[in-house]
Amino acid sequence: MPTITIFKDDLESLLTSEGGVARGIPMAQLEDWLMLVKGELKGHNPETGELRIELQDSNRPDLWCCEGIARQIRIKQQGRLKPYPFFDKTPTSPHHLIVKPGMEQVRPYVAACTAKGYRVTEKGLAQLIQTQEKLADIFGRKRKTVSIGIYQLRNITFPVTYELVKPDEVRFTPLGMETAMTLSEILMVHPKGLEYGPILAVQSLLPILRDAKAQPLSFPPIINSREIGEVRVGDDELFVEVTGTDLRMVILSLNIFAANLADRGAIIEPVEVRYPTSTVLGTRVKTPQDFGKPATIQMKAIEQALGQELGEVMVKQALEAYGYDVSAEKGSVKAKLPPYRHDLMHTMDVVEDVAMSRGYAEFTPVMPAQFTVGGLSPIEQLSDRSRELMVGLGFQEIISNILGSPDQYCRAMRLEGTEWGRTVEVDNVMSLSFSCLRQWMLPSLLRIEAASSRAFYPHRLFEAGDVAIPDGIHELGSRTETMIGALIAHATTHFSEIHSCLDVLCYYLGKDYSLEPLQHPSFLEGRAGRILVSGKPVGVIGEVHPEVLERWQISMPVVAFDLNLSKLMGLG
Amino acid sequence: MDISTLIDSLHPLEIKVLTTLGLRPSGTALGSEQLADAAELEASQLSMAVEWLLAKSLITVQTETVTPIVSLTKIGEEYHQTASPIERVLAAAREATSTGKRLTIPDLQSQGGLDPSDVSKAVGRLKKEGVVLIIQGGCIETTGRPSPTAEALRPLLGEMHDSPKELKSFTEAHRQVIEDFAVKRGNAKEPFRVDERVARSFILSPDGAGAAAQLLTQGVAEEVSQLTPDLLKDGSWRQTRLRKYTISLRPPRIGTGKKHPYREFLDTVKTKLVSMGFQEMRGALVETEFWDMDALFMPQFHPARDIHDVYFIKEPSHTTAVDEPFLSRVAKVHENGAETGSTGWGYSFDVHRAKRLVLRSQGTAVSARTLAASPQIPGKYFSIARCFRYDQVDATHATDFFQVEGIVLGEDINFRTLLGLLNLFAREVAQAKDVKFLPAYFPFTEPSVEMHVRHPRLGWMELGGAGLFRSEVTLPLGVTVPVIAWGLGLDRMAMVALGIHDIRELFTDNLELIRTTRGLF
Repeated sequence: MPTITIFKDDLESLLTSEGGVARGIPMAQLEDWLMLVKGELKGHNPETGELRIELQDSNRPDLWCCEGIARQIRIKQQGRLKPYPFFDKTPTSPHHLIVKPGMEQVRPYVAACTAKGYRVTEKGLAQLIQTQEKLADIFGRKRKTVSIGIYQLRNITFPVTYELVKPDEVRFTPLGMETAMTLSEILMVHPKGLEYGPILAVQSLLPILRDAKAQPLSFPPIINSREIGEVRVGDDELFVEVTGTDLRMVILSLNIFAANLADRGAIIEPVEVRYPTSTVLGTRVKTPQDFGKPATIQMKAIEQALGQELGEVMVKQALEAYGYDVSAEKGSVKAKLPPYRHDLMHTMDVVEDVAMSRGYAEFTPVMPAQFTVGGLSPIEQLSDRSRELMVGLGFQEIISNILGSPDQYCRAMRLEGTEWGRTVEVDNVMSLSFSCLRQWMLPSLLRIEAASSRAFYPHRLFEAGDVAIPDGIHELGSRTETMIGALIAHATTHFSEIHSCLDVLCYYLGKDYSLEPLQHPSFLEGRAGRILVSGKPVGVIGEVHPEVLERWQISMPVVAFDLNLSKLMGLG
Repeated sequence: MDISTLIDSLHPLEIKVLTTLGLRPSGTALGSEQLADAAELEASQLSMAVEWLLAKSLITVQTETVTPIVSLTKIGEEYHQTASPIERVLAAAREATSTGKRLTIPDLQSQGGLDPSDVSKAVGRLKKEGVVLIIQGGCIETTGRPSPTAEALRPLLGEMHDSPKELKSFTEAHRQVIEDFAVKRGNAKEPFRVDERVARSFILSPDGAGAAAQLLTQGVAEEVSQLTPDLLKDGSWRQTRLRKYTISLRPPRIGTGKKHPYREFLDTVKTKLVSMGFQEMRGALVETEFWDMDALFMPQFHPARDIHDVYFIKEPSHTTAVDEPFLSRVAKVHENGAETGSTGWGYSFDVHRAKRLVLRSQGTAVSARTLAASPQIPGKYFSIARCFRYDQVDATHATDFFQVEGIVLGEDINFRTLLGLLNLFAREVAQAKDVKFLPAYFPFTEPSVEMHVRHPRLGWMELGGAGLFRSEVTLPLGVTVPVIAWGLGLDRMAMVALGIHDIRELFTDNLELIRTTRGLF
């Protein structure tokens, strides 16, 4: 879900169709239009005209830019997409890009085009760079599968070659540096080399783009040459290339870039890429290229999914107004995505586009009519009854994080290295305070007690909730169980006070229990018990050990019990 | 209030004070001490009775005198036992001068038991009195003149050691020393403290005089404050006068048993969902990536599956096995769509990755498990599931939190019934009539909707997201009817209902806050 920054006047000028002028579009209107692109306005600076927009659809990289947003709105207003000529054209220009053997081992694919006649403006340049970054970062998975370079065309002599070189064979001055460096120096020193170098980590030969005069254009996917690969405001002839590991993603990225530049007034000339061996699109691949295929979609599928009869004509209209190329047949439509999109995985993707193009407000909600019986799970019912009883016993319910620290759940409880001290631990710890799951309730209750010595006494607290108990036999390595824990703290509390509460709870839950003496590090010896129901252990009760209280910095006697409701189910 | 009602409501302590004053000639004023002695009351009892009588305007304050009283602080007692800094500095300076030793302020400050700031203060005062000189090299030398301060301090400390004294009992010079060395705001480290003792004398008001006269003539009946079992058993309550209470006072506070306000809020949501025909689902805190993400058609390269977004489990790191046929079906759907009519994501599915154990990152994992477990058709399900996100904790991000989500399965499910269901949620859960549906994106639904509602108190807010589960999700899990997946974002509503502004307060450890928070649902 990328968030991009665009300028309102830039968007407005891209919305302007031939002759028409769009200025001062009301923000409410703009927000309505943003529904077409699943965009959410995150910020608006009325002084600079800056808009921050979050684009929700991670499968629509064409929308992650000002040009793409404007295009989707424009199509809706004009009823259809005005075709881009360069997708059909066979290359008339002599521009070739030659892929040398060996690239398939490293970064096999490349696509490129030229753009002339658009003089780069300051805002336009900022958008070019933003699109380049968002595409490479999110769609290209941090340049792993796709990365993009833009160059001044006038400095390049064709044909350009895409080939492998030894790490110290070629030197050039990369962007952001003053002096020429070898590729291995770039990997070791340049910030981009350090950041993206790992993509190429195990390669003994490294990829490079060079022109016919052997001038390096760039070291993909790391960095461009400073001499050729730095575009400035005022440039009006550009060369754009995309390299990557997936041919379709590479071409799609170039298609998006080409459409964007064309929308800003550039004339796009395709480049023919010549591979040494055949790709899925042949050995000579003209880019940009519309490689999409039309799909036939049954009207029944669309109408059933939308719950509404629309008819072929209306569906055709809706899809055209969303950029599709559509022909209606009887009972079905044949629909093809525009060349800058490649996100059609399933009929339902088309269905959503129909709904969006028409507007969600066009669909009248209907209540689902079928009868179903509602209810709570047995464990939730037991938990709720226990909570009611604890409230009746005068206990205040509390609620806690389940993710905590070993310090809290084990060390402070004197449980390190004991059977009770095993917890489910997190591997990628961000903060020790949130590094393991609680295995019982008492630490959660003591957390509140430790923070509340000023709240008037007595304290009677309880919590019902989930814990995770490590279990080597369970397929998930642990069992999630629901427990209820209760605590009493005041100057004269003692075992029998909490015992009475447990007694009442078990009585009304209909569980016949008994206690057997228990040695447990968290409780005082001789004042702790294991709770048994039908001979099975279901919990512990006792006076909390003074050393535990010291570790929590609690200076009030505490008695408590912990009862496993999941284990209690079906017993006694 | 007539006089007999008034007399009936008097506390025994009040009666004692009134009659004591009433026995004196009219207009006699008595001070607190005299009044306590004459009425045979403890000082604390007297002060209670006096406050009550003043509140009822039965007595008035005749005179009020404020007397400054000087006493020793803890530090003063220490100085009395040992010596004050000024005395110790003076002694050290005298010794140095007589033996010809060099003595500087740092020398004094490094001596044990003396605070550096005390040393500078003492030297400063002695210098001002002309008792010491600072000569070349910062050396301190005595002039031989006596120090009025040091000489005054010793007897003053001794005199007050036992008992506080009135400030005015001291000479002008001593009063000055006391004031210079008294605890003041921002300067707690001083030997003396001056407190103001307020002495008041009281006389009967006209109403009070009337009540006292009445009490003295009718005599004071035997009064009982508590009805006891004994009084009831032998019937003697008939001869007993039970005092009337002043019931307008605030009662003492008592402890309460009650639900946590946030749980209470979630309970109301739970009840609503059950009443709408939803069955509760439960799931585990630890989940496989398979059920948490793969089964939901989130590709294994999806950014939300990154190490910075999900908590991975340390040990065991992987599950032993994921149930078949689900694992191989889902793997195929990711790769090429299999028989779902989808193209799939077109990458090679990593089975080992699917077995990786994580902390449940979304409640939808619970729904995915339900889909695979032969759910009812038609069927409605919900869960209120604890989920975990790899987020820095702040006012709007919690590391674990509740997600309210669920599914609806049925032949009649489509885009319009999806909107109908959301309308129902808006009305039932948020009491909202106005609803806006916006296109949204979730990896596992298509079409997807985001619902904004106009809450009666909050205004427009996002209430939740929903959509129709993709066939890539339902078919591999064995479900052939359309399924709605929905989730509600209720924390903002809960926070407003509970009057809190920081999401961390939902799980606060402050018992006083938990006890006093009221939910207005």
